[in-house]
Amino acid sequence: MNRTVLTIGLVIAGALCAVFYLALGKDPSAIDSPLIGKAAPDFALKAVGTGETIDLAKYRGKPVVVNFWATWCHPCWDEHPTLTAVSQTYGDNVQFLGVVFQDDETKITNFLRERGWTYPTLVDQRGKTAIAYGVGGVPETFFLNRQGKIVAKYVGPITPDELRTDVAKAMAE
Amino acid sequence: MRKLALIAVLLLLAVKVPDADTLVGPPKGQPLAGDELTRTTQEVASTIRCPVCQGLSIADSPAEMAQNMRAQVRELLSRGYTRDQISSYFERSYGQFVLLKPKFQGVSSLVWTLPIFALILGVVIVFMKMKSLEQPPSGNQQPATGNSETDPYLARVRELVEGEQK
Repeated sequence: MNRTVLTIGLVIAGALCAVFYLALGKDPSAIDSPLIGKAAPDFALKAVGTGETIDLAKYRGKPVVVNFWATWCHPCWDEHPTLTAVSQTYGDNVQFLGVVFQDDETKITNFLRERGWTYPTLVDQRGKTAIAYGVGGVPETFFLNRQGKIVAKYVGPITPDELRTDVAKAMAE
Repeated sequence: MRKLALIAVLLLLAVKVPDADTLVGPPKGQPLAGDELTRTTQEVASTIRCPVCQGLSIADSPAEMAQNMRAQVRELLSRGYTRDQISSYFERSYGQFVLLKPKFQGVSSLVWTLPIFALILGVVIVFMKMKSLEQPPSGNQQPATGNSETDPYLARVRELVEGEQK
């Protein structure tokens, strides 16, 4: 009897240890996106500065990088130079789009004026686009292939290497 | 003034956000309004997890993200979307993580089955333990039967007592 109880206890403890071990080093706020491999939700949003409406659909046939960010998000400040610099290296071959949510347009304009920009920044009113993309926090970056399918998602401030790796995925498909 | 209003309307029309129609199909229920809309919004919102909070529903969280999601729930209900459609709408973007009551499928089914399995296992263990306690002890632990003729210990005691009496 005691041996049975001990075995059951060990099995339960072992299973718990395995679960905790697998979760080690994983960011609990990073949610696996069920959108990977699916068509990216379409949007047409107003660009900051120009007021022009940018429609995602018009970039079909070209890989697109959609970066969700906000001026109140400090990690977004860190990744801003990476995105602007790397986007320039791809020129017209890859379209970069910034989508700002839960923010004030004046603050966005001031931020971009101070730090510069190389691609359109769009305003997501009431966060509807962010919700459709399953954004849980900023920054989050989505990589769309030529067919408009999401091939990768990156949570947190992205580094140049990580950015190039995911862009390569979007370009390959 | 009219011109400005017209420009504002045109600008709003020019903006297109991902719509539930394209994501989960047309509404399958009746559009709600008034108190029923408010009550149902609260009920549905309490089943959806706030993605930027720790274990809070979008009904309970004061976060702006949760407020936006709550507004989305209200809008979808007012357009006739059913509870299931709204759950699917959020699940499509965030996965099952966003549902505070996981669905009975795949690995999530363990959330429902494991506690029942553990309960049954516990009852079986308690039952077996009780049964073993009811059984009389066996083997070397058996108490003396009181057979004084064969017990060497009692024989020795008797011998000593008799020796003293003599």
